[in-house]
Amino acid sequence: MKKLLLFVGLLTAVSCQRGFHVARQQSARLAVDAAVPADSSTVRWLAPYKQKLDQTMNMPLVTIGERLEKSTPESALDDLLADALLAQAAKQYGKAIDVSHLNYGGIRNGLPAGAVTTGNLFEVMPFDNQLVVLTLTGAQLMQFLTYFAANDNALVVGGVRVRVHDKAVTSATLTNGRAIVPDQTYTVAMSDYVANGGGGADFLKTIAQRDNVNYLIRDALIEYFRELGKAGKTITPQADGRITLE
Amino acid sequence: MDASHSNRRQFLKYLGATAVIAPALPQALLAATKAAPKATALTILHTNDVHSRLDPFPMDGSRNAGKGGVARRMTLLQQIRSEQKNTLLLDAGDIFQGTPYFNLYKGEPEMLAMNRLGYDAGTIGNHDFDGGIENMRDQFGKATFPLLVANYNFKNTVMDGRTKPWQVFKKDGIRVGVFGLGIQPKGLIPENLYKETRYLDPIDISTDMARRLRQEEKCDYVICLSHLGFKYPDATVSDQVLAAKSKDIDLIIGGHTHTFLDAPVTVNNANGKPMLINQVGFAGINLGRIDLTFEPGKAPVVGGTQVVPVG
Repeated sequence: MKKLLLFVGLLTAVSCQRGFHVARQQSARLAVDAAVPADSSTVRWLAPYKQKLDQTMNMPLVTIGERLEKSTPESALDDLLADALLAQAAKQYGKAIDVSHLNYGGIRNGLPAGAVTTGNLFEVMPFDNQLVVLTLTGAQLMQFLTYFAANDNALVVGGVRVRVHDKAVTSATLTNGRAIVPDQTYTVAMSDYVANGGGGADFLKTIAQRDNVNYLIRDALIEYFRELGKAGKTITPQADGRITLE
Repeated sequence: MDASHSNRRQFLKYLGATAVIAPALPQALLAATKAAPKATALTILHTNDVHSRLDPFPMDGSRNAGKGGVARRMTLLQQIRSEQKNTLLLDAGDIFQGTPYFNLYKGEPEMLAMNRLGYDAGTIGNHDFDGGIENMRDQFGKATFPLLVANYNFKNTVMDGRTKPWQVFKKDGIRVGVFGLGIQPKGLIPENLYKETRYLDPIDISTDMARRLRQEEKCDYVICLSHLGFKYPDATVSDQVLAAKSKDIDLIIGGHTHTFLDAPVTVNNANGKPMLINQVGFAGINLGRIDLTFEPGKAPVVGGTQVVPVG
């Protein structure tokens, strides 16, 4: 009987339970910095991933004769990067690309003389921008070139030769031989950043035919440089005069 | 029995980045509370937007040089777990993308590191789609913890059935309900990455979810793991918007906006009751820590809700 009472008592206590409430609370934002020693077993676990990563990042892709820097209105580096995007965009897109474009501000470092590594290209293009192909009319293409010629005071473009007078584009010629006609359409490869209006080119946000290609601009550069290096020769890229200031 | 359901929680004053606590209760009542039975401690630990930062930032003179890294986070976690029996380690999304680790390994070491560190749950950020939804399936499939997201309908995608909306964690009798919320993918994530993932309204979903956790699942504490973002200048749904419209959420652990909060922010919910939002930057530079002490039953009745705003 006593046991039963105890049992009933317990049951009552449990059924009367109304859960818990927070009586006190406090918070801290803990810095994960050099003051905290690294856990050695975690370091050991990560080591194989890190070693292979370092090998990949340090792997030479191609050897260049001299250091390359971006420059306005044009430089060997500007041309090389734009040509890389033009070639790789066409491969990824599976259709012809008329023009490639990189925003000048997005090129964050030059390339050292000697072996160019994947790591170097991560410094040139640290952002994970994806390739976007916009189909522009000839009129929109001219508007596009004019906008960036004025806004960036530089045009990092492939597939097109441009004459600029006082920051305005006076003429543009496609290297694939197509004429730029106002109401014909042209494919333009660029970063999602630019296509989203990130360079201030708001008119791009409303372009109806937009293809998002799941392909990083940086990967385009890495693959193009790897191709360049396959012959095993030192290359000395030059600016080819595609931008003419009048 | 206890008319004052609304006073279930007490509200505390946060002083700067660390410590805190000044229960807004009269001293006499506080003394009475002290006499109350067994208290149970629970420590909530959290990260957001770690972005593949497995190693610390390189020592290149930049602002975050030398900060972060999973091996150091492990040390902190071990220290805390040696002192606290009941812990929950949560992540608010964007595990992937941001270092070459992701480009090379597609997210595997990030997931395996989270397993090693003992994460209890995570939610999905927009960058977790960056390798494509098939890659998300492959990498998230390596997780030994649940990925919680209540407002993504993955039907017709390879992620169908691979996430849960919520989970209840039991810690020394305390029931903690955790659910996850993802951000609107349209316009943010290329469609070919998220495919037929359907985004459901996070306010509607979380109202149902939190009520269910509170009432049907009898949770003592409800946490929303959110990748909506802390707040926006326009009416875009955010943790702030969600908090103000919520009724049953105690804590939102947020992400996406890489917001460095010195301490959790207190927001009054739809019933005028304060709840917390926290977010600790990005890249694993910080580990967020919230220590809760639970006592049995409902909070003592206090005349009127006293709210001490965050300083």
